[in-house]
Amino acid sequence: MGVLALDELSIAYGADTVVRGLTLEVAEGELVSLLGPSGAGKTSVLKAVAGLLAPAGGDVRIDGCSVRGLPPEKRSAVMVFQKPLLFPFMNVAQNIGFGLRMQAVAPAEARRRIRDILELTRLTGFEGRRVHEISGGQQQRVALARALVLKPAILLLDEPLSSLDANLRQQMRELLQDIQSETRVTTLLVTHDQSEALMLSHRIGLLLDGRLRQVGTPHDLFHRPADRAVAEFFGGCNFLTGRLQGGLFACEIGSFPAPGVVANGHRLTAAIRPEDILVGGDCDHPIPGRVRRTRFEGAATRLWVDCGPVRLVVLTPRGDLLPGQPVCLRLPAEKIRIFPPG
Amino acid sequence: MKRLLFGGMVAGAVLLPFLALVLWAFSQRWFYPRLLPEQWGLRAWQYVLGTAGTQMTEAFTHSVLVATVTAVLSVAGGVPAGRVLGLYHFRGKDLLSIVLMLPIIVPPLCVAMGLHLWLLQLELAATLAGVVLVHLSACLPYAVFVMWGVFSNYNLDFEDQARSLGASTLSVIWRVMLPLTFPGIVVAALFSFLLSWSQYLSTLLIGGGKILTLPILLFALMGSGDRPVAAAVSIVFVIPALAALAMSARYLGSRRMLGVW
Repeated sequence: MGVLALDELSIAYGADTVVRGLTLEVAEGELVSLLGPSGAGKTSVLKAVAGLLAPAGGDVRIDGCSVRGLPPEKRSAVMVFQKPLLFPFMNVAQNIGFGLRMQAVAPAEARRRIRDILELTRLTGFEGRRVHEISGGQQQRVALARALVLKPAILLLDEPLSSLDANLRQQMRELLQDIQSETRVTTLLVTHDQSEALMLSHRIGLLLDGRLRQVGTPHDLFHRPADRAVAEFFGGCNFLTGRLQGGLFACEIGSFPAPGVVANGHRLTAAIRPEDILVGGDCDHPIPGRVRRTRFEGAATRLWVDCGPVRLVVLTPRGDLLPGQPVCLRLPAEKIRIFPPG
Repeated sequence: MKRLLFGGMVAGAVLLPFLALVLWAFSQRWFYPRLLPEQWGLRAWQYVLGTAGTQMTEAFTHSVLVATVTAVLSVAGGVPAGRVLGLYHFRGKDLLSIVLMLPIIVPPLCVAMGLHLWLLQLELAATLAGVVLVHLSACLPYAVFVMWGVFSNYNLDFEDQARSLGASTLSVIWRVMLPLTFPGIVVAALFSFLLSWSQYLSTLLIGGGKILTLPILLFALMGSGDRPVAAAVSIVFVIPALAALAMSARYLGSRRMLGVW
């Protein structure tokens, strides 16, 4: 069990600062995902926590004590890389026992812990297998077991599911969730996959252009993005620009009540998710439009609707609409997210 | 079936020249145009193992000692050098690789003659240590190049992972790096051993005739014209080399090729 605190952490490659001012806390037993596009420096953040990379600035604190200057082998944070990196000259049990041997744990105790962790990662019976004899998913589980068996204070996972195919990913996701809730190991996970972050994390930190844009629960980030960049990251949002006039948000397609927003006169951006726009039905301020394009996506249909100067993307369960058809859209005021200016 | 046939052909092609050696070693009288010896006998072996026994033992011991020490030192130098060359980029790297190549490009006689003067001044001429040093000048470049190749394909992440799991630097070297590069180390050691084992000119020059190794003994006997004896000594010369090759066969080539043998 451990508490991780990143304090104004910055990472640089030579003269290039890729991450700056990263302040994030991971509470005991929590799984926090650091989400961001590939190449944003997320793996470097993980390496800085693990001690494999020296940060350009800031501090890393585990359980309140700064670990800057402490070599990786002395830190109680263990990192699991994107590739399993299982030692090919050892079998599964020996791989898992590697860290225990480094800590000079007694053989009997080590055997017991290895047995327990094999059960937890559903690898019982694989002890004697050689690394090349097991599948990719199994290798990933062995890599995870190898880290967990050490009962680290902090578990660092670098894109743990990205090297797996789609089916395996789902199984591993569930396994990770089960393991994390059972062991309650404090975990910092790094990924570029939004759905992975949304499904696994207690909280998400979104890293864009080297800065932490928003930290919050998956629900917060998805439904209440802090700014346009965050909303764009989760994709698919419709954006409207307008001004606040007399308590209403006036944009190209109409005026909507905007309670609580104070920015009179400023140009503002608002966002509404495609699935929050309603098609048809009675409403006070219907927005007329014409369907341009439809795309059947199974449980819902995606519509591209031209409403005057604006094209809105709508995700609706209705499957009866065709291109060229006129429709009436409703934008519920509570689903419109208006971003503060600046 | 095809594998067996192919294997047989390869084995035959390699072993056929040795067949001639074996025939000579066990012959008593063999003159042209006969295809096989007129008379078989053990005279050659009686000479080699009996009369010349002391000389043979001395030559054999020196050869094994020098080749083994050369192989060990060659690998000891080759591994760190290969690691630096394979993993890092630095100014002058190209120049360094040319300098390392020089002992191979420059004729060995020139290298040996050049080193002779220096070794004389260091009072290492006509000593086993001097012979090892001159053999090293030929073997070390090979070891460095083999390990350079190995480290060019080396994934440093393995070491990072080991460190994150609690391994100290020494543990990383001993428990991760060396096992991972072991096949390459075996190849480098084998190259060095075989190269040192077969050295003639350099040993003669630096040894000054005082250090007796198997190749020197062999050449002397060849000069005497006594073919059965030369053949017998050749067989003694070849067997340790074949043994070294057999021991390291596991690490050479693909698994499929090994399946043929």
